[in-house]
Amino acid sequence: MNFLRQSLALLRVGLSGVAARPSSALTVLIGVTCAVGALVSMLAMGAGARRQEMGAVRADHVILGKTGERPGQSDISKDESAVILGLPGIRRGDAGEPIVVFESMTFIEGRKRGTGTRIYFPVVGVTSTLTQYLPELRFTGGRMFHPGLHELIVSNPCAHQFTGFDLGDTRLIHGVAWTIEGRFDQGQAQQCVVYGDVDSIMSAFKRNTYTSVAVMLQSAADFDAFRDAVAANPALHLEAMHESAVVEDEFKQLNAILFFVAYFVGSIMALGATLGAVNSLYAIVDSRRRELATVRAIGFGPGPIVVSVMVESLLLALPGALLGSGLAWTLFNGVAASPLGYSIQLAVTPSLAATGVAWALVMGLLGGLPPALRAARVPVTTALRAV
Amino acid sequence: MKFLPLIWSGIWRKPGRSVLIFLQVCVAFALFGVLQGLKTGVEQLIDQTRADVLLVHGNLALFDPLPLALLEQIKSVPGVKVVVPVELFGAIYQTPNQKLGVVAVRPDEGWLSAFTFTIAPEYVAAFRRVRTAALIREGMAKKYGWKIGDHIPLLSKTAQKTGSTDWAFDVVGTYTDSDLGGGSDTLLIHYDYFDEARLADKGTVKHFKVAVSDPALAVAVTDEIDRRFANSANETRTESMRELAQSQLQSIGDLNFLIRSIVGAVLVALLFATATMMMQSTRERMPELGVLKTLGFTGVAVFLSILAEAMTIFVAAAASGLGLAVLIFPLAANIVPGLSMPLIVVAVGMACAVAAAAISAAVPAAFASRLNIVAALAGR
Repeated sequence: MNFLRQSLALLRVGLSGVAARPSSALTVLIGVTCAVGALVSMLAMGAGARRQEMGAVRADHVILGKTGERPGQSDISKDESAVILGLPGIRRGDAGEPIVVFESMTFIEGRKRGTGTRIYFPVVGVTSTLTQYLPELRFTGGRMFHPGLHELIVSNPCAHQFTGFDLGDTRLIHGVAWTIEGRFDQGQAQQCVVYGDVDSIMSAFKRNTYTSVAVMLQSAADFDAFRDAVAANPALHLEAMHESAVVEDEFKQLNAILFFVAYFVGSIMALGATLGAVNSLYAIVDSRRRELATVRAIGFGPGPIVVSVMVESLLLALPGALLGSGLAWTLFNGVAASPLGYSIQLAVTPSLAATGVAWALVMGLLGGLPPALRAARVPVTTALRAV
Repeated sequence: MKFLPLIWSGIWRKPGRSVLIFLQVCVAFALFGVLQGLKTGVEQLIDQTRADVLLVHGNLALFDPLPLALLEQIKSVPGVKVVVPVELFGAIYQTPNQKLGVVAVRPDEGWLSAFTFTIAPEYVAAFRRVRTAALIREGMAKKYGWKIGDHIPLLSKTAQKTGSTDWAFDVVGTYTDSDLGGGSDTLLIHYDYFDEARLADKGTVKHFKVAVSDPALAVAVTDEIDRRFANSANETRTESMRELAQSQLQSIGDLNFLIRSIVGAVLVALLFATATMMMQSTRERMPELGVLKTLGFTGVAVFLSILAEAMTIFVAAAASGLGLAVLIFPLAANIVPGLSMPLIVVAVGMACAVAAAAISAAVPAAFASRLNIVAALAGR
C-alpha cells in the first residue's frame, strides 16, 4: 500500500515536470509515433490484401483442379465435366440443375486509367450457373452475358482502374469484337475480374479443356464427403479443395512478403524509437538527480522510483501509439496501393491499431527500464552535495 | 588539428548518451539504406535491361501461341539481325514439387545475341551438335547433382507423339542468365526437336526473340513488325526487354510513396531526437563552454567544435548503418532476383547524414557560440 502511494506521488511529481522539459517528452512521443505509424500502415497493406482476397470466399465453395497442379492451370476434359455433374452433395439451382461452374481462364491486356500502363488481367470463361454460384454478385449496370455470344461482364474495380470497360465498349479478341454488356459488384472483393461465356472464350482461344471447375455444396459440412467422392471416382484425376485454401495458396507469396516487410521495417523503427526513448529518459532522470536524491533521503524506496519512471515512460509512449495509428488511418486507410502487381486497398483495422499500441507499450517498457534503474541508484549523498 | 582531442573528449563526456545517439543514427541509416536501395536498385535494373532485344508475342493474351511461319516475315523487316523462335513449357523432375521451366530455342547462327545468357563456347558448340541436348543452370547442376553427359528424364503436361508425357534430354553444359525474369530452374533445349516430337500445337511458338542490328532502330523495328501483322489472324505485340522489365517492376515502383513516407518519418524522428539531445548536452556544458570562451575561443570556434562533434558521431554512425544495410540487403532483396545494393545509395546516405548532423547541431551550436561568458560560468 505504502509502495503504491509512494509510486503515485513520484509519478505525479514526474509528470508535472514534463511541461518543464517538453522537448525530451516530445522526442519519445515523436519517435513512437513514427514507429507505430510505419508499422501500422505497412500491416494495413497485409490486412487490406487479406480482406480483398478473402472477401468473396464462401465455405460452401469447392474448387476442383488436377491432382498436384494449381487450379486455374489444370486441363479438365469435357468427359470429366459430365462425371462431375453427377457427384453427390452439390447444391441444386432453381431449375434443379447442379450449381457447377466450368471455367477457362486466360489473361488479356488492359491499360490503366491515367498512366496508360499496360497490365494483364484475368478473363474467365464461365457457364451461366455463375449467378447462382455467386449470390453476392450484383449488377450495377447492364445485364448478364448471353451464352454463345461474344459478350463480357466486368467487375466495377476493373472499370475504375482500366480504360475500355464502360458499357457498350468493345474489344477485339482474335479479330472478333466482344462487347461489355454488364458491370457488377461482388461483395467485399476488390479484384478486377472479367467474365464471358466459357464456350465462346474457349473457341476464341482454341482450347478444348477447362482450367478449373467450381462447385457449390449443399452445405459446408458436405466437404469431406464430396472430396472423398472425387478421390474415389476412377474417371476423375482431380482434387477438391476449399476455395479459401486455393486463395490462400495463390496469395501465399504476396502475404509472406508483406508480412516480412511490415515487421522488418516496423522492428527497425521500433528499435530506433526505443533508443531515442532511453536517451530522453536518461536526460530526464539526470536533470532530476537532486530531486530523486531528496525523496530517497526522506524515505522513499528505490522500488517506487523504478515504477514511477517506467509508468512515465509508458504514458509518454501511449499517446505516440494513438497518434501513430491515427496518422496511419488518416493518411493510408482506403488508399489503393499496388505492390507487386496486386491491387490492394489498405485497411487500418482496430486490431492493427491494437498491435501498434502493444508495440508502443513494449517500446515504452524497454526504453524506460535502464533510466528507471539509474534513477533508483542515484547516490543520495553525492547528489545532494552537488546542490 | 589541435582541436581534435577537444572534440573527442566532448563526444565522450557522456559516453552512454553518445553511444545511444550513435546507435539511433546507425539504425535509421540501416533502414534508409535497405529501403532506398530497393527503390534505386530496381530503377537501375530496368536501365540495365537491353532495349535492343525485342520480344514478339501474340497481341491478345499472355500465353497465346503464334505460328512459326511468322519467322520469315519478321526476319525480312529491315534492321532485324536475328530471330529466334521460343517455346516454353513446364516439367517436373522425379517429384511434383521439383518444378522446372523448359525453354525451347532454335540455336541458329547468332542466336545468343537475342538472349541474356552467358555460355562457354564449347557448350554452345555441343548444344548445336546434339539434337536432344539440354543446357542447365549452374544452380540446377548442384541441386539435382546433374553432370555433363547425364541423360535426365522429365515429366511434362505436354505429350509426345506417342502419347507419352515422359521426356529425356542430354546435359551438354551449363549457362547463366542475367535477365530479371529468367527464373533459376530453367533448362534450354532445341525447339526443332521438341516441336517434331510433340503431339499437339505443332508449328507454334510462345514468342519470338528478335535482336536488332542497331539499338537506335529498335523502335522503328518494333512498329514495323506489329504493322506487318496488323489486321491478320495473328496480330503481334512487339516490345523491348526493357519495356517488359518496366511493366514487370512497375508494381514495385508503386511502393515509392510508402517508401518515401517511411524514410521521411525515420529522418524526422531521428532529427528531432538528436537535436533535442544535443540541445540538452549543450545546456549541461554551459560552464565548460564558458571556460573555453574565457580562454579566448571565439564564438565561431565554439560553434565549429559543437558541429564537429555532431558530424563525427553522425558520419561514423551512418557509415556503420549503411554498411549494415549492405550486409542485410540480400535478405530483403530476395523479392527481386539479381538486385544488388547501388553504391549511389550509400553516397546519398552519407550526404544525408552530413545534412542531418548540420541541422540537428545548428541550434545548439548557435546557442553555444552566442553564450555570454559571465552567465555561462555562473551556470545560469
